[in-house]
Amino acid sequence: MTQRRVPYLILAPGLILLILFLVLPLISTIFPTFFNGGFTFSNYTSFFLDEYNFGIFWRTIKISLIATLICVVLGVPTAYYISQSPKKWRGLLMSITLFPLLTNSVVRSFAWITILGQDGILNNALMNIGLLSKPLTMLYTEFAIVIGSVYLFLPLMVITLVGILENIDSEIMEAAETLGANRLIAFVKVILPLSVPGIIVGSILVFTGSLTAYTTPQLLGGNRNIMLATFLYQNATALGNWQGASVIALIMIVATLIVMKLFSWIAGRMDKRGEASA
Amino acid sequence: MRKNIGLKIFAGLVFAFLLVPLFIIIVTSFGTNSTIQFPIKGFTLDWYSKVFDNEAFMDSFFLSLQVAFFATLLALIIGVPAAYSLARHRVFGRNWIKSFFLSPTIVPGLVVGYAMYQFIVIKFQFPIIQGLFLGHFLICLPYVIRVVGSTIEQLDFSIEEVSWTLGCTKLQAFIKVVLPNITSGIFASFMLAFINSFNNIPVSQFLSGPGVTMLPTSLMNYIEYNYDPSVSALSVILMLGTIVLMYVIEKTLGLASIS
Amino acid sequence: MSYVELKDIRVSYDNKANILKDLNLSIEKGELVSLLGPSGCGKTTTLRVIAGLIEPNDGEFLVDTQNLTKVPVHKREFGMVFQSYALFPHLTIKENVAFGLKLRKEKKNSIDKKVKDILAITGLEELGDRYPKQLSGGQRQRVALARALVIEPKLLLLDEPLSNLDAKLRLAMRIEIKRIQRQLGITSVFVTHDQEECFSISDRVAVMNKGVIEQFDTPEEIYNNPKTEFVARFIGFENFFELTPTEEWNYKAIDGTVFHSTRDWEPGKHTGTIRPDDIEILIKTNQNTNNTVSGIIKVRTFLGKSYQYEVETPIGKLLANKTDDVVYQVGDEVTLSMPSHKLIIV
Repeated sequence: MTQRRVPYLILAPGLILLILFLVLPLISTIFPTFFNGGFTFSNYTSFFLDEYNFGIFWRTIKISLIATLICVVLGVPTAYYISQSPKKWRGLLMSITLFPLLTNSVVRSFAWITILGQDGILNNALMNIGLLSKPLTMLYTEFAIVIGSVYLFLPLMVITLVGILENIDSEIMEAAETLGANRLIAFVKVILPLSVPGIIVGSILVFTGSLTAYTTPQLLGGNRNIMLATFLYQNATALGNWQGASVIALIMIVATLIVMKLFSWIAGRMDKRGEASA
Repeated sequence: MRKNIGLKIFAGLVFAFLLVPLFIIIVTSFGTNSTIQFPIKGFTLDWYSKVFDNEAFMDSFFLSLQVAFFATLLALIIGVPAAYSLARHRVFGRNWIKSFFLSPTIVPGLVVGYAMYQFIVIKFQFPIIQGLFLGHFLICLPYVIRVVGSTIEQLDFSIEEVSWTLGCTKLQAFIKVVLPNITSGIFASFMLAFINSFNNIPVSQFLSGPGVTMLPTSLMNYIEYNYDPSVSALSVILMLGTIVLMYVIEKTLGLASIS
Repeated sequence: MSYVELKDIRVSYDNKANILKDLNLSIEKGELVSLLGPSGCGKTTTLRVIAGLIEPNDGEFLVDTQNLTKVPVHKREFGMVFQSYALFPHLTIKENVAFGLKLRKEKKNSIDKKVKDILAITGLEELGDRYPKQLSGGQRQRVALARALVIEPKLLLLDEPLSNLDAKLRLAMRIEIKRIQRQLGITSVFVTHDQEECFSISDRVAVMNKGVIEQFDTPEEIYNNPKTEFVARFIGFENFFELTPTEEWNYKAIDGTVFHSTRDWEPGKHTGTIRPDDIEILIKTNQNTNNTVSGIIKVRTFLGKSYQYEVETPIGKLLANKTDDVVYQVGDEVTLSMPSHKLIIV
């Protein structure tokens, strides 16, 4: 019956384009990394055994993890504040959060160049008030990448969390207080557990985002603080090492998938514990 | 609920953290000094005219607009019917296909661009511009599938059935009944996809060449060698663009629809 | 042959259990027929088969001697009213109603006139330029009806059209639907799970259960003369007890009491049933007359116009309703009498 085929005809163009221009390119790029005479993992084992390469991998994980943690710490209270604001304020606060997100990431990283640079705004200000005698090196450090990543992804975390927290009844918080919990304890014991699903989703976005980010480490990290994405670019262009670039490409894809699975797994476990205690 | 001072201050500081850097850029764009300084000494609009005189910026700006527009358009043409089919038809392996359509979000942008460059440009000798266009199409498609898909799922299926009983063929029903009722979803996904394509760097990073440079890439290249307020001026112009877009979205759909 | 014929219709999803099993139904021209039954009985599936939204695995569907089994939904020319009304949100009331006419490429004057007429019939003249979300539930219902009727359909199909309305409006709308249906003389199929609604509106009722029609009769006939235990239960016969047929019209209960029923006799049927309203409650007598059984009152419930007594008897628990002239107490021993013209054997 021809009717049955209609859906597949509708889906075909998209599927074909995805296969032709995403799947095939990825396969043809990554496939050769497994062959060196015969089938081998040697490209990957040697990548991780190399101290310099592993250092870059480790730095990427470390920076992503720190940025994610900071985003959670800054994001949860802020999102809670937004979700508890009166309706007319909430729109404005959401716009303030959305605005950086919709602004180009080059612009956002550039802002931190002007702030953190040797002759930057922060150094000048600190020297003017006499806290520093000579400028601190803040730009082109891991610190700068962390700041830049937090700046880049904090809005994502906040927006994800607001969506979850808006649905939490404010009476729950009041109920906790009437039971004798002070505000901070009520927040930690009640709001925090309820926002776990949002924290997980937000963390996946921030972590995978930082893990694969290119703009921020490129602009704020300098040549000494290379991360996976900048390393891939360097391998492919400056070093002409296509094989190396392809190895990094697969590592980035696999790392992203592992992070997503891991976080979802954690979320699943948390949920189960919630059911058991309820 | 009573106001909690501690929470208020904390949130205030976070909002300051989000806005102050952008505010500094705005101020520095008017400075007279040839490098970026804050606070500024004098006031000038020269850096803005410098931006408009910079051919690399202008060319890449128009290229970015075109690529983002046509990539989003193609994503809509292919994605809207696909999203409809995934929501309404009995398709074998439906969830699998849907994940496949969303998969460009899982592959890091730089890797998409890299693989595309290797395969399309190096191996098959396509012009770079075509690779660029296809790469941006790939990152636009998931937005369409996701946003339009959820709009269709929220649409009462019986309005389609009733239109069939009134004499519509399946295609007529899609055009006369489904499309007019998912315009907000289509518009929202267009906006999201367009903004993301326009702002995207990683995908375009490999897919650029002589005369084919997207605006963010061109801005990034400029920053690597220059440190003058024309970068601030261009940033301000881009922020103005963002504000206009946000205003349009707020007036038509409400910002909540894209967050 | 009847105007509408469903012959041996079978529907099953994925070839698993049948949703409809060899369903047969004949509807005369101008009739309003209801499909009544609990959820999952197949009534909506039957309606969707008629509409062409579901293709039956087996069987034939004819209207006016034409075989429509393979005719797609958009060529059937039936009007359908959905439970959710399914109004087009992007069109005004007029445009909603004119939708089907425009597809038929009718002339503009003719469309305008037909729309105006149907809006008058359904009492919507004032609302033509509004959008669906500006209307109340009852008004939306009328628009859905007008939109289905304006194409002068061969059949009008209504899928629980009143279930989203509040009780008062539901009552008004069902009178309205009946009036319009009579006025236009349009053959209609009405799906509902509400027996009162169904009885008040229908010429004939098909009571469905598990994909088969248990009984297809006039509302009076179904009310007074249920043919199966399922139908009896569904329309409020709450007392059921086993009987053994002895001779025609005579039965024996498990305690030996003789029951006599003057109702239709059919061999093989052996369950006695009677409405709680039809049982008479008497002060206990020791006479062992036919059609009576004695027992003890276990529960008394006040129903407003009457009391309901739950009585434990040798043939089982029986419910009897009685208005308040004599009020019995829990624990009282009473005799229940079942008039032979009220006792039905299913």
